Amino acid sequence: MSSYEQLKTLADARWAELTEGNVPWIRIGMSMCCGQASGAYETISAIKEHLSATGIDATVSEVGCLGICYASPVVDILVPNQNRAIYGNVTADLVVDLINKCLVQGKTPKKNLLGVVDTGEIKSKGLPYFNELPQIKLQNRIALRNAGHIDPKDIYQYIARGGYLGLNRSLAELKPEDVIEEVKSSGLRGRGGAAFPTGVKWSFMTRGKKPKYILCNCEEGDPGAFNDKSILESDPYTAIEGMTIAAYATGSTNGIIFIRHGHDGPIDATERAIEQAYSVGLLGKNILGSDFSFDLEVSLTGESYVAGEETALMEAVEGKRSMPRARPPFPAAYGVWGHPTTINNVKSLSYAPSILEHGAEWFSSIGVNKSTGTAIICLSGNIKHPGLYEVPMGLTIGEVINNIGGGVPGGRKLKMLQTGGPLGGVLSSDSLEIRLDFDEMRDAGAILGSGGIIVADDRTCAVDLTRVLVAFCQFESCGKCFPCRLGTTNLLEIVERMASNKARIGDVELMKQIGQTMQIGSLCGHGQLGFNPIESAMKHFKEDWNACVEDGVCLTGSCDKPHFNPINTRSFADAPIKSTAPINLTNQIGENHE
Amino acid sequence: MSEDLVINIDGKEIKAKPGQMILQAAMDAGIYIPYLCYYPGTKPFGACRMCVVSVDGVRGTPASCTTPVTPDMIVKTDTTEIVELRRGIMDLLLSEHPHGCLTCHRIELCGPTDVCLRHVSVNDRCVTCPKNERCELKDTVRWLEMDMETPLTYQNRQIPLKTADPFWDMDMNLCIVCGRCVRVCDEIRGDSALTFLNRAGKTIIGTSEGTSLLESGCEFCGACIDACPTGALVERDYKWDKAIKTIESVCPHCPVGCTMKLEINKRDKLIRAIPDSQSEVNRGQSCYKGKFGVNFVNSKQRIKTPMIRSKGELKEVGWNEAISFMAEKINTYRNNKEYYLLLSPRSTNEEAFVAQKFGRSVMGTNNVNVSSNTRPELVEYLGQMLGSYAGTNPIWDLEKSQTFLVISANMTEQHNVASLPIKQAVKNGSELIVIDQRETEMTKIASIWLRPKPNTEAVLIGSILKVIIDETLDDHNFINENTLHSDQMRKSLVSYDIIKAENITGIPADEIRKTARIIARSKPFATLYGLETVDSTVRADCVKMILNLSMATGNIGVEGGGLYPLLNGANEQGAKDAGCIPDKLPGYVGLDDISKVAEFEKMAGYTIPKTPGWSVEEVAGAIEAGELKALHVIGDSPSLMNGELAGLVNTIDKLEFLAVHASLENELTSRADIVFPMETFAETEGTYTNIERRVQILNPAMSKKGYQASSWSVLSQVAKELNVGGFDYSTSMQIFDDLRRHVGPYKGISYEKLRKESGIQWPCSYKESKGTAILCEVDQPDFKKIKFAPVELKTPKDSINKNGEFILAEGRVLLQSGRTFELVENNKRNEISREELLEMHPMDAKSLNLKDGDLVELEGDTVKLKLKVHVNGIQEGLVSTTELFGSYAGRLDSSSAPDPVLNSKNLSLIPVTLKPVE
Repeated sequence: MSSYEQLKTLADARWAELTEGNVPWIRIGMSMCCGQASGAYETISAIKEHLSATGIDATVSEVGCLGICYASPVVDILVPNQNRAIYGNVTADLVVDLINKCLVQGKTPKKNLLGVVDTGEIKSKGLPYFNELPQIKLQNRIALRNAGHIDPKDIYQYIARGGYLGLNRSLAELKPEDVIEEVKSSGLRGRGGAAFPTGVKWSFMTRGKKPKYILCNCEEGDPGAFNDKSILESDPYTAIEGMTIAAYATGSTNGIIFIRHGHDGPIDATERAIEQAYSVGLLGKNILGSDFSFDLEVSLTGESYVAGEETALMEAVEGKRSMPRARPPFPAAYGVWGHPTTINNVKSLSYAPSILEHGAEWFSSIGVNKSTGTAIICLSGNIKHPGLYEVPMGLTIGEVINNIGGGVPGGRKLKMLQTGGPLGGVLSSDSLEIRLDFDEMRDAGAILGSGGIIVADDRTCAVDLTRVLVAFCQFESCGKCFPCRLGTTNLLEIVERMASNKARIGDVELMKQIGQTMQIGSLCGHGQLGFNPIESAMKHFKEDWNACVEDGVCLTGSCDKPHFNPINTRSFADAPIKSTAPINLTNQIGENHE
Repeated sequence: MSEDLVINIDGKEIKAKPGQMILQAAMDAGIYIPYLCYYPGTKPFGACRMCVVSVDGVRGTPASCTTPVTPDMIVKTDTTEIVELRRGIMDLLLSEHPHGCLTCHRIELCGPTDVCLRHVSVNDRCVTCPKNERCELKDTVRWLEMDMETPLTYQNRQIPLKTADPFWDMDMNLCIVCGRCVRVCDEIRGDSALTFLNRAGKTIIGTSEGTSLLESGCEFCGACIDACPTGALVERDYKWDKAIKTIESVCPHCPVGCTMKLEINKRDKLIRAIPDSQSEVNRGQSCYKGKFGVNFVNSKQRIKTPMIRSKGELKEVGWNEAISFMAEKINTYRNNKEYYLLLSPRSTNEEAFVAQKFGRSVMGTNNVNVSSNTRPELVEYLGQMLGSYAGTNPIWDLEKSQTFLVISANMTEQHNVASLPIKQAVKNGSELIVIDQRETEMTKIASIWLRPKPNTEAVLIGSILKVIIDETLDDHNFINENTLHSDQMRKSLVSYDIIKAENITGIPADEIRKTARIIARSKPFATLYGLETVDSTVRADCVKMILNLSMATGNIGVEGGGLYPLLNGANEQGAKDAGCIPDKLPGYVGLDDISKVAEFEKMAGYTIPKTPGWSVEEVAGAIEAGELKALHVIGDSPSLMNGELAGLVNTIDKLEFLAVHASLENELTSRADIVFPMETFAETEGTYTNIERRVQILNPAMSKKGYQASSWSVLSQVAKELNVGGFDYSTSMQIFDDLRRHVGPYKGISYEKLRKESGIQWPCSYKESKGTAILCEVDQPDFKKIKFAPVELKTPKDSINKNGEFILAEGRVLLQSGRTFELVENNKRNEISREELLEMHPMDAKSLNLKDGDLVELEGDTVKLKLKVHVNGIQEGLVSTTELFGSYAGRLDSSSAPDPVLNSKNLSLIPVTLKPVE
């Protein structure tokens, strides 16, 4: 058992050796999403090969994601007594030249250089600063503070950069109720979608018998969102420390991190991190010498979007089919295996260490109105600089898209935005003035949700995009409650009919009827919000719909292409559509008779 | 108990219980809220959203099946929004459910036998739905008064039907995915044989493993069928038949006595048996026997007229002739003990009462017995030690038990519904300890399975009790205040040394200690014993020791504790209560109790023969020795048909006279001198008493298709023919009234009362009494101290193999997930095909020179099998094999016998010889 001070001393020494020693330190962004996809594997093996071939001494580390996806693969070279420079788009063929210039010739080449990072002693005049990049400058990285900087396999690097200060303070100085109070007054709200105050949620857990469970939700099935998984992959310790703090505050004895199955990067990183935390006494019995004990494990889901719904998640943890439970009883009263349970999103938990380290006041000073702290935005689609950005709440969507994201490329015009996952619906280009603020976005008919923003330019047909979103909602319905199971299926059928220019008279009204049944009738958010994509698209892009439904043409031409073929997800619904008039059941029977 | 609260539904104030959901409270108050996925007994699910309501102060439209009541809640069930929402959901539902039955314009015109004039496509016709007119979905649509025009496109799912599994058909095109079947199977039955498959619009129900129920661990209880609101899951037999009436009665297959609703069609056939969801006995559950084993009443092979053997052949005769023939014949055997009356346990209390009276007053003998009474010890010592000759606690009390001890009882097959509360409690964390040589479903869910050497159970239980007493884990206060003879009992335990016990039973001392500590520490503790594999030489000791254990741990007279003797026959308890046993008069008056016998004689008006009659086990010997010459068998007795009393059946040729009352021809009728056609449970009126002492009424559901009569009326007429008085019975109610004059605990029970309640548990000794749920409650004024019984340690005869002799323990379980098998289709039915294993002790294997995987031939009286050797930790001298329940169910389903349950053999221990196959 080690005390925090012992751990910190050890960690500092190791960190100093890496950053202030005489051996260069090369860090390569190896995250699953963009790093590996853009060739980071090839880059790292080229680097290792070159180093061993030339005998150059250097420490090579695989790190997480700096969030600048457009620049992947990213190589970060720290040259002793010189500088730390970050290079973007370093493909394998550029490696030899780059290593030679940096480590043999002692230069900082300008080619592919994104910028240098201030390490205290800059010997690089006239070079751009990494932190001055518009993508970085507008950010305030709290949950992502370590992402891309530390090796996610080394807990000491996390500790050296201030990790576990928050937990240490909580255990040493604060009572559980003080921790809850601190989180309450920080104004932290759940980042999973509902934006419920996290501290208040924790306070529900003070009642109830042990064992109590704290669950961390990393299902994150939204297309266009890789925030939670990126946190776990790049810096799992933040989430683990956050969970430990939450467990201390709520009196929980057991924790489960629930990750969507198949995402090996975050799964491996988290499992390894938990193992390390156990080995140094940051998990298990009597954490940091206190009376507080906490056990943590990883649980995987099947491929199910609805498993991210908190009650469905509990079913999945119990090994059952992930279908939402009816509420009440609420998880705080009857959760996993009937025990009191709190479920938080990875992002919400990842703020906790910093809040406890710096205090509630510091956190609540960031942000705007009742939305304190930062928003983690995953920007993708028709955008110049896609990436994962953590910006203070209160920035407008336009600032994020144009200043950070660099706007729509190729001189096209921005047409649509899709925020907060497929259920969040779509926004038009008029929405750029909306600020990142839970309440303001809700009032504008959008949700911040998981933090994904997908940008679509003027080549996209609103009806077609809606069809894709509805197909997603239909396919991901768990099949439990009738309105959602059948509503999404029928909606998809109608939208597909429209997208293939076979709309019938009254189809729009019909969709609205089904949509209303789903909104007020469904058991969980999936069905309740399942009509959002259609509703919002019909509101913002009336012309597209009218052209499609009434004139049978596609304004953008994207639906008219010869290869266009709607994916028919209702496999048993492949019978030909017979008439364009509303079908009267008795008429239909007569037809069969003929 | 918390107080009832008041809620307001649609302006009406109703009472509700705390914790209840709005829907339940509304139903209790007679307010209808439509629902499709709710099913009583399962956890709130909330899938169909049909039961949505609006609640003042609550956002949106909560489902009433998942919203608990709160004081002064104001609920509205019929606002425009809600009605529209329900119709909207139903519209969606009908976009994939065939609905010709709702929309065809001929509905009003079609008569019940008309040919369909094809206004609806084949798949969607009302006549192609087995649940037409008994469909909950259709009822709901009609209640919603829907406009039957929908703009949605209708698509039939086009899923092929499954019809190859035993007993049931599955048509997933009619499924509405409400999940009732899945939840019943998982939450109530504890089997999880069914599950949801696929997702989104394609979500459907299927088997949880493989494609057939045989593969998924189904026990064929039919609960899913009973739960299904549409025609998706149905019983195969009489699938298309509609009931014209439904009559409540009691299942004749086991002593749990499930209340069943018997559905009768217009041709007066019993088409379906549906367990009563309101019944306190079975709570809407039954088993493969009750659900699929009652069609025998419709059999064309039913005996219709009396028959007399003349010139070696049975000839049909009239009743008068039969009665005088019978009277003349048995006149010879009066008052000379050469006559024996053997009553089927399917007979009613009334039949049992008249039978014993006939034996005693007409025939002058105590040779009356119930044929399933092969283990009289089960209740004998309950009477001697606790005061009442019956189990102490109700079946569903078992839900509250923390620990169970099940001794040699294949409960999931023999007393299926009584195993449900155990399965549920074990799922919720209760401990189950099973002592049995056979592998059964109970051993599979047990936390401790003790598999002792045969006939060492008494020693095993004694040593468990010794550990409890040695470690002072016994309940001193209970013993001191409420019991007698504890010193003698303690003294007798001295010889139960744990090492000696380990040697005798073959159970390691540590296991014994562990078991003892669990039993002593987690209370309440319930004991259930069948002693199906225990030899008569040690059965008495075993029962005494079981009772001692329960008493010493203070588990008598408490909820969730107590003793459950698992009797064999359906109404064995009732037959015994009515005095149809050779050593006791009605009301358990011992023949040696002179004053009480005299009292009885005075009330009954006839003299009682003083020597007790033979036991069932002694009958064969008495026939063999020529002491018993006339046998009178009443009713269809499983034990005479399934080989349990094979010894007796084999001797019947030695009899001078054999009279049989039977509903179906069998081995006995083919050799009888006279055969009386008998009513079945579905045609007769009377009462049954189950293992929890609950007296229930059987109502005649169908009329007789011949000249069948109940045995009491035959016996009464024979008595009259012989000029013996006291048999002026014309209704079963008169007999019951006579019975309760003699049987004290029945005094307060009447037909009138029984028709109002779901049975009454005796003792119910005065008119206002509601019966007694738990016996021996110490705070009751009539509590008498209960008595311990000392049991000296006896080492049973060595069972270890000699000359290649082994004991085979036959087992049967639902699922063996470690082993795969092939599913073959034979005659359009799925069958299990696999190589069975023979478990064997390493020493035995060594002595026979066998190793894992060798083939061995096994032969016994009733078995001959070829099996593959599997060497494991079983006892020396014991071998065992375990088949899958699916195979058994398949055999029952394909059996040509009209009543397969009657003939099916129970699992037992059989002496066998082994021979390696070269």
